[in-house]
Amino acid sequence: MSTMIRTVELTKTYRMGEIEVPVLRSVNLEINKGDFVAIQGPSGSGKSTLLNMIGCLDHPTSGTVFIDGTDTSTLNDDGQAKIRREKIGFIFQQFNLIHTLSALENVAFPMMFTGVAREKRIERAKELLGTLGLLERARHKPSELSGGEQQRVAIARALANNPPVILGDEPTGNLDTKSGKVMMDFLEKLNDKGETLIIVTHDPEIAARAHRIITMRDGILRDEK
Amino acid sequence: MIGMDGIVLAYRNIKERKTRSLLTFLGIAVGIAAIISLIAVGYGMQYAITEELVSFADTISVMPGKLIPGLGYVELGAFTERDIEDVRRISGVKDVTPLMYKMVEVEYRGERMPVQVMGADPCDLEEWYEEYVVFQEGRWIRERDYKGCMIGYNVAHEYFKNDIGLNDRITINESEFVVVGILEKASMVASSDLDPTIFLTTKSAQDVLGTDEVSMMMVKIRDIDRAEEIAEDIEEKIDENHNLEGFTEAMSMSSMMEQIGTVFMIIQVVLVGIASIALVVGCIGIMNTMLMSVMERTHEIGIMKAIGATNRNIMFLFLVEAGMISLIGGILGCILGTIVAKAICTIASAYMGMDMPAIVTPTVAIGSILVAILVGVVSGLYPARKAAMMSPIEAVRYE
Repeated sequence: MSTMIRTVELTKTYRMGEIEVPVLRSVNLEINKGDFVAIQGPSGSGKSTLLNMIGCLDHPTSGTVFIDGTDTSTLNDDGQAKIRREKIGFIFQQFNLIHTLSALENVAFPMMFTGVAREKRIERAKELLGTLGLLERARHKPSELSGGEQQRVAIARALANNPPVILGDEPTGNLDTKSGKVMMDFLEKLNDKGETLIIVTHDPEIAARAHRIITMRDGILRDEK
Repeated sequence: MIGMDGIVLAYRNIKERKTRSLLTFLGIAVGIAAIISLIAVGYGMQYAITEELVSFADTISVMPGKLIPGLGYVELGAFTERDIEDVRRISGVKDVTPLMYKMVEVEYRGERMPVQVMGADPCDLEEWYEEYVVFQEGRWIRERDYKGCMIGYNVAHEYFKNDIGLNDRITINESEFVVVGILEKASMVASSDLDPTIFLTTKSAQDVLGTDEVSMMMVKIRDIDRAEEIAEDIEEKIDENHNLEGFTEAMSMSSMMEQIGTVFMIIQVVLVGIASIALVVGCIGIMNTMLMSVMERTHEIGIMKAIGATNRNIMFLFLVEAGMISLIGGILGCILGTIVAKAICTIASAYMGMDMPAIVTPTVAIGSILVAILVGVVSGLYPARKAAMMSPIEAVRYE
């Protein structure tokens, strides 16, 4: 199986006034295409930071992240934006939908940056919402949707540009058990079709579904199952 | 790429914050309205004045003195019979009307005041001023009105404690005259000529002023296009007669209109400059609104970046929004400015007794809207850049 994500000596240090706080310490990690990885660990262990580095949202202090063979440390802002829109789909704990846009428009939004024509975008967004059983909610604003519905819209948005990797930062953290299960079922189905999944989670049940569990502690990869 | 969507998004965001957007529109609109209305009124005034002067287009006024910018008119002497005859003989000259005027003491019911007296051929007078004169009472003076006079509005109603009425007697330089005509207040262009003046026939003026010196000539020409050339011939000829370079000032109406145009241009540039301050204030308003918008939407900017927007995409979206606010402000300003200009012109026309339209040319309207958009985009640059440069992770974490 070929490598989708590889980090080499990935280090991140935050500066708080005079004190330097290391968050990631020389993390070396390889994730294969089509893998389903759960990242666990206590708060402040660096698991979200690791995810953000993989998703090109944050710059490492040193070390590199390779995504589908591309060394992202050599990329400028535009290059990283391109990686984010073509390779990565993000799902956040807070859903992070744009509240002025309807569900449909939220799903169509990322395709605007890849230059998909308006009608094509609407068509694809409808198709995605349909897959997630939200077609009749397409015209609603996020504030008119339940948490579970919002997170499903967020998944549809993450899939809009057909990225090979889905990153989830505690995606079920704000959902009730039932909605969380529905969501995980859907993500698992995606993984079965070859999507690479990397999920940061506290929930052992979710971790149990993963092929591989990584535990972080004090910025270091501790053990793998 | 995202042009049309940018516009749709900007529209959504403007609509989302109705009150604030409305106030920002107004900030720009007031600036644009101030500029538009000043230009419209300025054009209107210029139009009104040149319109009145057009009837004098075939006229050259000749004075024995100099017009010195900033000082006014300095009289250097008077014209002689010979000057008048020589001017009549210059090619292209159709007719010459000699005028004499002088400040003399006038008495009415025991009160004495210095008043300007003008002596002229009554026929010429009627020909010159026909369009401008409206009688309150009475009629034009005639050649045989040796002891008759016609008086301007100010002479009749403002100079003396008692109003002068028709057929009243006034004493000019110790000789008595009967008032045969009283004029209405004149329009702006002719008012300095007509309102403060007593008109006599040439003959009685010569007698009462005790002189036959001609203080001015009005020259009619055959071909308006040759006005400048003929004016130069006249100056040259009379200067030669008096043996004094620069003795004569011959001014054609076309050159006068040109001068008026220049004066208006300067006034307008100054006024528009002042009005631009309002526009600068509007700019600050846009910048403020956009900065607040960027701050409030930090999280949203983070989301957009997380789903793949480049810095340039973000910058573009915010610039479109700033441009849209200022476009709407500009259109509002155009409408507002036109209404204000129309109101000013209507009032001014009524007061000055002349037709002064508010003129908003398409160039001015379109130009000012373009200026508004430019101003908006420039004011939006800093906030948009600020939005574009945000770190995606910090922005997406911001609550």
